[in-house]
Amino acid sequence: MEFLELLSPAFFLLAAAGAIIGIVFGAIPGMTATMAVAVCLPLTYTLGLQEGLALLLGLYVGGISGGLVPAILLNIPGTPSSITTTFDGYPMAQRGEAERALKICIVASLVGGIFSALVLFFFAPVLADFAIKFSYVEKFLMIFFALTVIASLSKNIVMGVFSGLLGVLLSLIGSYDVSDGGNGEYRLMLPFMEPYLAFGFSLLPVLIGLFGISTIIEEAEKGAKESSQEDKVNLTKGKPFRFSVFKGQVGNLLRSSSIGTFIGMLPGIGGSAASILAYTQQKNLSKQPHKMGTGEPEGLVASESANNGLTGGALIPLLSLGIPGDSTTAVLIGAFTLQGLQVGPLFIGENIDTWYSMITALMFANVVMFVVMFYAIRYIAKVVLIPKFILYPIIVMMCTVGAYAINYGIMFDVWTLFIFGVAGWIFTKIGIEVAPLVIGFILGGSAEVYFVKSLESYGEYTVLFTKSPIAMVLWGLIVLSIVVSFMIHKKSKQHSGESK
Amino acid sequence: MFDWFISLNSVTIDFDTSHQFFPRIIMTLLLVLGSLILLANIRPVWRAIRSGRYQFFVRNADFFRLLVTLVLIPVYFWSMDAIGEVLPNMGLGFLLASIPFVFLMSMLYCHERTRRNITIITANAVIAPTVVWGVLYHLFLVSMP
Repeated sequence: MEFLELLSPAFFLLAAAGAIIGIVFGAIPGMTATMAVAVCLPLTYTLGLQEGLALLLGLYVGGISGGLVPAILLNIPGTPSSITTTFDGYPMAQRGEAERALKICIVASLVGGIFSALVLFFFAPVLADFAIKFSYVEKFLMIFFALTVIASLSKNIVMGVFSGLLGVLLSLIGSYDVSDGGNGEYRLMLPFMEPYLAFGFSLLPVLIGLFGISTIIEEAEKGAKESSQEDKVNLTKGKPFRFSVFKGQVGNLLRSSSIGTFIGMLPGIGGSAASILAYTQQKNLSKQPHKMGTGEPEGLVASESANNGLTGGALIPLLSLGIPGDSTTAVLIGAFTLQGLQVGPLFIGENIDTWYSMITALMFANVVMFVVMFYAIRYIAKVVLIPKFILYPIIVMMCTVGAYAINYGIMFDVWTLFIFGVAGWIFTKIGIEVAPLVIGFILGGSAEVYFVKSLESYGEYTVLFTKSPIAMVLWGLIVLSIVVSFMIHKKSKQHSGESK
Repeated sequence: MFDWFISLNSVTIDFDTSHQFFPRIIMTLLLVLGSLILLANIRPVWRAIRSGRYQFFVRNADFFRLLVTLVLIPVYFWSMDAIGEVLPNMGLGFLLASIPFVFLMSMLYCHERTRRNITIITANAVIAPTVVWGVLYHLFLVSMP
């Protein structure tokens, strides 16, 4: 229990502050948990490891939870994972039951968050223990599997694979690092770029650019119109909230939390998939499926417990395998690097105190999120009214500070922010998907090292298939993910054809 | 025949050119996939462009705000660096560039320039960068240009 000594009052204060700031970010349409973590990253530069992680995990939990506020009040999902919350939340708000809808969602979020934190606590060390046995071949196949899963769940499979590979290629820019067994030679750039790109593009400016600056550019293109309308924020005209609304919803809560946690474990899929799957599942099992979408609490329970279930789930592959489960955990990987920690199979064993303090921070952030949102929801609801013309310049300013400070004052990192901000805006227009691209960018460097070392060690290509039973199982999973995704795409095409 | 098949399976990576080995594989795959995407989509995309169904910009795009944003952000970055060169090691490049940037960007995104809004924008343009500079540069010792 040595880790208890690490838990200072500042630790809890920062976790709470993170949760509150995250809620505010999530509550503002267009702002995401990823952006909250990215923007607040500079604050962690001078904090200790435990305090920094407490703040970031608080932001993560708060950011995911805050998205329910505009989803219910304005019919605009604050974060992509709140999309299904709008289906039943907004009709309830129109009936004057906004406070009831918000509180149902807050309770469901707490259950989903705590459930996933417990799964993380028990499951991540087991997975990490198993992953320690992996050689370079299995590690490469694990990354390959992650990339196929992400790509196969994209809107267009071929485009998803292309985007993932493009991310890998971008990550290879720079020198082939000697510390990774490389020859130190530069590649994929012109000679004049060598002073700037010797170590490639820094991860965080790329992420902040893709998720932060590109959002601002998109908003500018749409005219940065204010979406919040004061007359829509009407909380308490109709039925008040009672805990009895959860009678008969325990199965829904647990099932949706499990779906959220499981989807969170699959790299790069994101919260919208989790909440849509949980919502669809609940609709299939509901006694009154026709009523869902008209303001039914069971829809809110499914949606919100699933999207908060993501938080712990997405941390499982990050902490046990070093593979981020979603875009927010991708930014968290940068924060770990900043603190000199490398996440992967050895992380939990070698940093047991940090591991326990992370679980504590995650649990505590969920409780703070619940208390703050449950009792202060009327005030938090006002956040949706912050005008964009105040908010967006501050976001750009914070993104800039974050990018500049990441490598202790490199101006090129700030330009990276702009380059990837514009690139992210263009990518969405030409069909390149940002999620596989980001995961490809994060994992590309490791993929190269594991792939090249596997071939150097064994001198034959077939080793990638026949190295061990684990390798064969991973190949089976890779094939399965591709086949399943083709079937899903075919089915959804048939459905859309029938509906036409 | 069997030897030829075995030779296909074996691989030797020359250390001097090893930095090109993996990138070449990725570029080849990108080229193949890119060609596939082009071949499969070029006709429908071209038809959609000609019929006006595909638009690069969103419908009723605000070109003025978009263009000014795309100019304002790099100017902000450039000026921050330039001021930082003249007044180094005080974070003043950030502070002095951020105040006009926040003001101009807020004015750009503000649809109703009433006296109240302009007062809020001006106060925000001075207070927000100053607070960030004070807290991050002085309190947290974060690097700033």
